[in-house]
Amino acid sequence: MTMTRRDWLRATGALGVVGLAGCSGSGGSGGGADQPNRTGGETGQSTSAARRPPTADRSLYLGHDIEHVSDNIVSGGVPKDGIPAIDDPKFGPASAAPLDPGDPVFGVVRDGKAKAYPQRILVYHEVVNDTIAGDPVAVTYCPLTGTAQGFDRGPVEFGVSGRLVNSNLTMYDRGTDSWWPQVLATAVRGEMQGATLREFRVVWTTWEAWQTEHPDTVVLTEDTGFQRRYGTDPYGSYNPKRGYYASAQTLFAPLESDDRVDPKRVVLGTRTTEGALTFDKETLLTDRVRTGDIGGTQYVAVADDALSTGYVYANPESVSVNAVEDGYRVGGETYTADSLPLERSLAFDGMWFAWAGFYPGVDYVR
Amino acid sequence: MSADVAAGSQSAVAHVERLLRQTGVAIRGAFSRRDGRATFGVASVSYLLVYLAGLRHLGFGPWGVELSVVADPLARATRMVSPFQWEPVALVVAGPVELLVSPLNVALGTALAVLVGVNLAVSVVAYRGPKACKIGPGAGAAAGLPGLLSGFACCGPTILLVVGLQASATVLTVFQWLVPFAGLALVGTLLWVGTNVDLEA
Repeated sequence: MTMTRRDWLRATGALGVVGLAGCSGSGGSGGGADQPNRTGGETGQSTSAARRPPTADRSLYLGHDIEHVSDNIVSGGVPKDGIPAIDDPKFGPASAAPLDPGDPVFGVVRDGKAKAYPQRILVYHEVVNDTIAGDPVAVTYCPLTGTAQGFDRGPVEFGVSGRLVNSNLTMYDRGTDSWWPQVLATAVRGEMQGATLREFRVVWTTWEAWQTEHPDTVVLTEDTGFQRRYGTDPYGSYNPKRGYYASAQTLFAPLESDDRVDPKRVVLGTRTTEGALTFDKETLLTDRVRTGDIGGTQYVAVADDALSTGYVYANPESVSVNAVEDGYRVGGETYTADSLPLERSLAFDGMWFAWAGFYPGVDYVR
Repeated sequence: MSADVAAGSQSAVAHVERLLRQTGVAIRGAFSRRDGRATFGVASVSYLLVYLAGLRHLGFGPWGVELSVVADPLARATRMVSPFQWEPVALVVAGPVELLVSPLNVALGTALAVLVGVNLAVSVVAYRGPKACKIGPGAGAAAGLPGLLSGFACCGPTILLVVGLQASATVLTVFQWLVPFAGLALVGTLLWVGTNVDLEA
């Protein structure tokens, strides 16, 4: 922590082009009016596919009627792009990153290329429009729900609408100006209402764990194009945990309250086309294997001890998954947590109140 | 009828002129004394520092010496990031102190700080000094209150964590108007002080 920001920027300047090379635009605010149309069909206008984010073939389960979610979008107290996305991210080597070992980072591996996005930077920007291994992606983080998620963005960028629903970041795409609550990954207002984004896994872990597992990782630098005091988190701290992150209070009323668990307790959740399911993260890391079900299909969660995270798999045949010293035994073979021979269901960390609010009555596997 | 209206307008104008003159006398009186000038200086500087700290533009960080400026600072300086908050264009690090420079917020904070300082200077002088003007000690407290309000305003919704309130459309709307309210309240307090000045004294 002795390196100054200028030293850090100087040291990482050469690597900055890695992030620059794939960026599709200069990051203007774009997006048009502050209030998108409720649906594109009402206006008879549409945006060409070239200016739309790519969407998934199947829609994710939503715990509420889409209009109900849309009606519950509220102002977060900042205007559109008041929280500026990073549109020209620059990366530096791990050795020069001004991070403490216990600082949270959001890690992404794509085509063997590892990148870390420090929470202390994303808390001020929430969206990074990046390109990884040639693919345009958006790495997103919502401080109020504790969720870090990745989306394919195609030729368009995402921005921060300044609106929230269930305390969750509501993104807008700069192609159609549709509004996308991050956790739902589904447009709830605008021309793309009802469409679902293509997602990829973002791992919430510590800098020390990520660096150990991915020594060649590059790290998002503070050369974001904006001036912020990146060492100070306006909501509190994760290292150690305090402020909003440790408080039982939410800043905005949740869509549904569920007092089965402390509102800020971290759960690893997954949602499919059929439903949603959550696993208590602390218990999962201790017990290593937990099971639950969605619509009668078993889902198994396994812990990744090295990164202190977990993965969830559909297990319709209810095959036996047993934790062993160096991984998990499935069908007589040993696998690492992220490579079980089952269909992976995308999962991510989040605060309990966020999952419970978006998916009322969601199963909670303790 | 029109003569009555004209007379009324002239009376109102005369009243405002007298109020401004009285306020001017009170301010000049306060600044003619050392304790008045000291109060103004301490109060203004303190308020500006608290205002910038409330915005989280001023605080402590890792030790260093640095000055970095964004590209195109003029365009950035006018970009509003939330009500009455604008984009910082520079970061200054001097030892453990970090300062984000947002020119419009510095200007707004300075204007509020000057108003707070003048209010307190006039009130302190009136309370401590001879009967140059007939102001009670309550003026000092009244002057401080809007400053306190605007201090809250600068922190935005995160202050809700401290006071235990949940954000709602109403609460956020109130927060949006605290800064202009504080400014108006400070000017109002100063004019109210003027009403207590006896020009013949």
